[in-house]
Amino acid sequence: MTRPTNSTEEKRVILETGSGNDLYGEDYTKAACRAVQDALHHSSIILFRSLDIDHKTMRVQVTIGVQEPDKVDTTVVAAELPRGYAEVTAVFGGLNVHDPELGTTHVVATAAVEAYVPIDAAAWRLCNAV
Amino acid sequence: MTKKRMVVQFGQGHSIRRADYTAAAERAVRDALWHNSLTVAEAFGFPKSAMIIDVEIGVQKPEEVNVDEIIKVFPYGQPSVRVVRGGLDIPKPHREGINIIANAAVIVSFAMEAEK
Repeated sequence: MTRPTNSTEEKRVILETGSGNDLYGEDYTKAACRAVQDALHHSSIILFRSLDIDHKTMRVQVTIGVQEPDKVDTTVVAAELPRGYAEVTAVFGGLNVHDPELGTTHVVATAAVEAYVPIDAAAWRLCNAV
Repeated sequence: MTKKRMVVQFGQGHSIRRADYTAAAERAVRDALWHNSLTVAEAFGFPKSAMIIDVEIGVQKPEEVNVDEIIKVFPYGQPSVRVVRGGLDIPKPHREGINIIANAAVIVSFAMEAEK
């Protein structure tokens, strides 16, 4: 296991983005959870295995954009993150698509998932591939 | 083995009207790349040019993908492309033609080793 040293610093390794809808229920938490799942499943942070870094050291910063951020249950959204420890904040954003004739609203959420990992850059150097 | 995988990015792309396997593959690669912003090079203090980019594409007719067009998508790094049989073609219901779906994986690695 790679152990943190004095030169270890928390670095962001990736920003993952996604969007999710709740089409008929106007459920902002459901839309947010789907946006997080969309963001997560477009990448795999394989470096934990490659470099033997413990994924529990990862801090995951989640920002949700929806038109009514107060209606997002951030605890439920945080439970969508399988690894590391997640901090979820909801801000004004996303998109609501309203149909004035039918009186329905489609809720669109956008999610930004940022992974921060303690990395000792001084412990690694580039070399020739074999 | 000093080539270490950092991140694998996934995407899907379509060619709905032109039945163009290269266009579907290129869109799949863009979908994979533009869902993510990698800061892994900075995190390790490496130049972005050191990124080794292995692209894997799945389509039903791999021989019809123009690999040079896929390479052009990448602004930096050392890309190489492998096309295999996969993806999905769905015939159109009321006339001749197909919808093409391409799957893409973009594997980002560094040739790196621990300081002694």
